Amino acid sequence: MTAEGYAAATGLVERSAAAFASGVPEQPADDGFFGPGSVTWRISADLAGPVAGLRALLMQALHPLAMAGVDQHSDWRQDPVGRLAATSAYVATISFGERAAAEQAAARVRRIHEHVRGTDAVTGRPYAAGDPALLLWVHVALVDSAIAARRALGTPLAAADADRYVAEMVVAAELVGVPAAQVPASVAELASYIAAVRPELRCTPAASESMAYLLDPPGLDEDLAEIWQDVRDAAVGTLPDWAREMYGYPAPPALTPERRTEIRQALGVLDAVFLSEPGVLEARQRLALRMRTARTA
Amino acid sequence: MNLRRAGAALAIGGAAAGLVLAVLRLRLGRLRFDRGKAALQLAARGGARYAASAPRLFAAAGENREQLRHDLALQTAEDVATTLGTMKGVLMKIGQMASYIDDGLSPAVRRTLSRLQDSVPPMSPELAARVVQEELGMPPERAFASWDPEPIAAASIGQVHRAITLDGRAVAVKVQYPGIAETIAADLGNVSLLRRMLRITAPAQDVDALLAELRDRVLEELDYRREAENQRMMAAYYDGHPTIAIPGIVSELSTRRMVTSELSDGARFAELAGWSQQERDLAGETIYRFVFRSLYEVHAFNGDPHPGNYLFHGGGRVTFLDFGLVKHFTAAELQPLMHMARDLCVRQDPEAFRRSMEEAGFLRPGAPLSTETLVEHMAVFYDTIREPGRLTMTGDYASAVVRRFFDVRSPVAEYVSVPRSYVILQRINLGLFAILGELSATADWRRIAEEIWPFVQAPPSTPMGEAEAAWRARRQAAAKTPA
Repeated sequence: MTAEGYAAATGLVERSAAAFASGVPEQPADDGFFGPGSVTWRISADLAGPVAGLRALLMQALHPLAMAGVDQHSDWRQDPVGRLAATSAYVATISFGERAAAEQAAARVRRIHEHVRGTDAVTGRPYAAGDPALLLWVHVALVDSAIAARRALGTPLAAADADRYVAEMVVAAELVGVPAAQVPASVAELASYIAAVRPELRCTPAASESMAYLLDPPGLDEDLAEIWQDVRDAAVGTLPDWAREMYGYPAPPALTPERRTEIRQALGVLDAVFLSEPGVLEARQRLALRMRTARTA
Repeated sequence: MNLRRAGAALAIGGAAAGLVLAVLRLRLGRLRFDRGKAALQLAARGGARYAASAPRLFAAAGENREQLRHDLALQTAEDVATTLGTMKGVLMKIGQMASYIDDGLSPAVRRTLSRLQDSVPPMSPELAARVVQEELGMPPERAFASWDPEPIAAASIGQVHRAITLDGRAVAVKVQYPGIAETIAADLGNVSLLRRMLRITAPAQDVDALLAELRDRVLEELDYRREAENQRMMAAYYDGHPTIAIPGIVSELSTRRMVTSELSDGARFAELAGWSQQERDLAGETIYRFVFRSLYEVHAFNGDPHPGNYLFHGGGRVTFLDFGLVKHFTAAELQPLMHMARDLCVRQDPEAFRRSMEEAGFLRPGAPLSTETLVEHMAVFYDTIREPGRLTMTGDYASAVVRRFFDVRSPVAEYVSVPRSYVILQRINLGLFAILGELSATADWRRIAEEIWPFVQAPPSTPMGEAEAAWRARRQAAAKTPA
């Protein structure tokens, strides 16, 4: 624990890597809910992944009721890295796991959510983590961030592919308990949903506190800490202006082509470090082989 | 799945067809046939050797290594960019040179660098063929009498294929990944990121010099024409040498992204463990002579003392491979090094040694250090040549040299630094000691050095020295006789 009462973020890469590797099955019985021909798999392999993840958390935290649930029920202050790794493992299992594994993971999350209820101190509103409205915001923030991060920093994504990705991801929301009919299924629907939710969003003290930790995690390995600054700048830079203003973050330097290259280089180094963790290269090779087979079949 | 199998079958079929074609061609003339047949056998054996001992031959995990290599092969230039772009190619290159900086790197960084090398699959046969087509204006099947589409080894930012030239020579063809040179050149510009990533535990000014030097060397390596030029130059210099052999370059098949050299066969470094100590001593003597003859006579240093870059033939005969990393020196750069050796070992004049160190930029002028302390610190680097007498290089000695080199706590460290042009030289020196130590090579290194030192030029001290002197005499005679 650091002086501020938070546990240090040591082992962030190691544990995220282990979470990823464990989510990619060795001898899958089926292709899961997405499969090697999906846009979802293609997007997951992108260099911009860490930026997408951080941006998603920044967006999600702006919903006061979603944030209150995390704040009052999660152990993130004691074990922030474990909390992130659990989310990474969940996302990897839903994305790459067999159907049975994905359903099992989702069922577990739904069970945990049943006990996450309370009243948000800021708005005075009651909340329940199983509320489809909250789950949908969390889902949309993730999908929107994957597209935004990839557009800004990753390899270009055709508009049709972005739409396909949003549509593919509907099933992920369904798995945690959102009726499919409520889930945006195109980029346009995604945008209008976000616009509709916006009046409810705000930066509560809990959001401010937890995100401050994430943007500058104490105890990160020295060499990673500097690379993390680039990830942070990129994540904050790809937020919508209104979201950044809610947090009161200054606008990061403009994403010039040179700056973009620099950030991509930092992401490449981060990826190289990730790749050197046990099991990651093998997991990636398993995915690459299946994607290649799907491409040539 | 079926498609993949079909692809593999095609590739193998292609190889077989290539060989049949080559044999048919060779039957056309008796001379060609014999030469080609020998070449084929050589190629087959050499290939197996390469494949068995190349240290990081596309290491993929699991039992299906071969299949994985095939299935994960880079098929397009975009695949190359995804795999090696955004710093990964640069880090991989630096990883290959990590032997020079190994002791300054944290275990985590070292692990990352070595894992990166494992993560790079070979090019698919089609992609490699496309590079050859772009470089030569014709497909490999036409440019060569026989072309093996399966690579036999991973090379520096490329891979090695065996082939037989149209005139029947067995060759090794190094083919560069398409687009890699541009990617690496761009990523090398981000020095601050490299610095952060590597976090070398050495004094800051050394890190900067080292990075700058590594950067220059990597940039040079991106253009294979330079490598061909280096190898041609070395091969020409050592032509006819009794124990040093350098495979010839086939110039018309060497371009920016392709370098074709004669295929050599011989025992790999690891096999020397089973050889007699006398043979190992002779091999050590040849490597020693090669390193210092090249430095003092050619003003160049083969920068890669990696054990994989030697082939051994017995009787001290050694073939030197891979001239991708050659450092050239000017006479002015070499002078202070010579003076240091001369002052300490021959004249035994510590004050002059100190002045030469200052001239070379190794020692800050006016450093508050006694000359005695300085000599005591530096002597370990000259231990093997300060006095005549037979001496065995050991792993312990090599480690002691390395430890001293990286000893930042020594009272001398603060005032001693390695100027940029000598950075690689120092690292190679360390590599040389490590290799000789591994061989437990014994010789009178001082007397061999005296033969080579331009400021001594002593007569031969060993049978190999005699043979070398005769070769030198023949060279000089040939140089004087107008052609």
